[in-house]
Amino acid sequence: MSTNPKRAHRERAAAKPQAVESVADMTLQTVAGAMIAIGVIAFASALIRGAAAIAWEAYLVNLLFFLGVAQGGVVASAAFYLTQAKWGGSTLYRLGEAFAPFLWVGFFLFFGLYFGRSAIFPWVTHPIAQKAAWLNTPFLFARDGIGLGVMAAASFAFIRVSRGDDARAWTIATDDIELPPHSIRVLAPLVAVLFAVVYTLISFDLVMSLAPVWRSTLFGWYFFAGAFWSALTAMALTAVVLRARLGENNLFTNPIVMHDFGKMVFAFSVFWVYLVFAQYIVIWYGDLPVETFFIVQRVHHMPWSPLSVACLALIWLIPFTALMSVRAKKRPLILGSVAGLGLVGMWLERYVLVVPSLSLDAIPFGLTQFLISIAFLGAFLISAVPGLNRVAQAATSGEPFGDGAE
Amino acid sequence: MSTIAIISSFADDAQCAHAIEELRAAQVGDFNTFSPIPSHRIEHAIGRKKSPVRWIVLMGGISGILTGLAITIGTTYEWRLDAGGKPLLSWPPFIIICFELMVLFGGIFGFLGVLMLSGIPATEIAPGYNGRFGEDRFGIMVRCDEAEAARVESMMRESGAEEIVREGVQ
Repeated sequence: MSTNPKRAHRERAAAKPQAVESVADMTLQTVAGAMIAIGVIAFASALIRGAAAIAWEAYLVNLLFFLGVAQGGVVASAAFYLTQAKWGGSTLYRLGEAFAPFLWVGFFLFFGLYFGRSAIFPWVTHPIAQKAAWLNTPFLFARDGIGLGVMAAASFAFIRVSRGDDARAWTIATDDIELPPHSIRVLAPLVAVLFAVVYTLISFDLVMSLAPVWRSTLFGWYFFAGAFWSALTAMALTAVVLRARLGENNLFTNPIVMHDFGKMVFAFSVFWVYLVFAQYIVIWYGDLPVETFFIVQRVHHMPWSPLSVACLALIWLIPFTALMSVRAKKRPLILGSVAGLGLVGMWLERYVLVVPSLSLDAIPFGLTQFLISIAFLGAFLISAVPGLNRVAQAATSGEPFGDGAE
Repeated sequence: MSTIAIISSFADDAQCAHAIEELRAAQVGDFNTFSPIPSHRIEHAIGRKKSPVRWIVLMGGISGILTGLAITIGTTYEWRLDAGGKPLLSWPPFIIICFELMVLFGGIFGFLGVLMLSGIPATEIAPGYNGRFGEDRFGIMVRCDEAEAARVESMMRESGAEEIVREGVQ
């Protein structure tokens, strides 16, 4: 070899990527702002009308969903470091971290639940004597608040190191097998382990406690695996959208990269359904009424049964069949559609986990809940814009990455 | 005109891959490649189609599922046992048996398929093989017309062959 590829990489890594235009012009921010405003009005009017339960249900479902996407993305970035993934260069890491600002939004919105506690937590109005030591208002908000706060702080400490020059140089050095920088090697496992702990706690406290007599040990794992998958689909969808918007020769036009996103979406969809089944079979075998009612209400009874089937189709059946072939994974239209439908499915799944516990006989979804969801989406999009600009910058910088080396 | 064999050895798989590309472009004779390691470069250069072993694995998987169904349904009917008031044919646990046997049969079929398609175990050493091709050298054996030999040899030399040997072919 006449040229020294290692030095060439270092030089390119040292050169700061040029500024790119913002991915989202002011239109998006204005629209997102309007979405938030309309949602806040809908929420307030529902409280005034006396439809507080409906408003707080939507609030909780969307909080769980969007917090899951934001946190799952940071964990995906940490997981890429832990597995030393270089198939997308630094773009991959920026993409996972792009949604993170919503973590702080979600942290503050979580305390909003305090004002709706009697509408959503059955044990606030009808305390269960044996569980009162765990299920009481001060302890719940203290432990979950601390959990979410620590999680967000750790995530941002991790992101700051990850966006630094050392970590960036590592992600685009294709020719050596060094480990990532030391601080990454401390923070990435920390974020991953905290994610498992905190989101298990969140799932027990904010979902399982809505049906306070029900219990399933595996539920926490199932819950955060779903959140992780929703982040992967959000990343794949973002990649497909940016692919069309960033002009020629951006990283996402590389079919190998699209293939890798397809593989991630495929693999963790199967993982999700594995956890569904692992949980289902134990409850099915045991056949204890105190365990089975949670599933029976959702899977066998109207009006929830079709929604549960839809979740299974959107999160597992469609991704599994549509993304089975290599060619389909590389087609942005197919990957994008599957990822978009997957996000809808994951939102629906959170809805089916939460709402039947509170409103068993009728689906309360209407204009109020729709507008509140829209407001959360708006807040999520606005908080993701700066991160997405970094993604755009990395994706168009033409830096080297793992799969391009061979 | 008689056919002869030209055996060249390379120190580097990139050179070997380049020689293969040249050979394919020039369309002279057929050739065999020897490699001490699995090399993506050489694989790309040879341009072989995807292995049909995938279909063998699929057959294994399907026969595994069918075996699983036969075992679960068969034993249930052979030994009718009412467990916890559940229906006789209770699908959730059957799925596990079928899934496991699908993986097992798929794996075994895949393993045997690889052996079969790659001709393992080989009963005789391939002509032109040299012990070094199992250590640190890459080899190409070209079978071609004697008239083309000089051209092939120069092609090999330009690609960086270390050693070029001519042999007669019986």
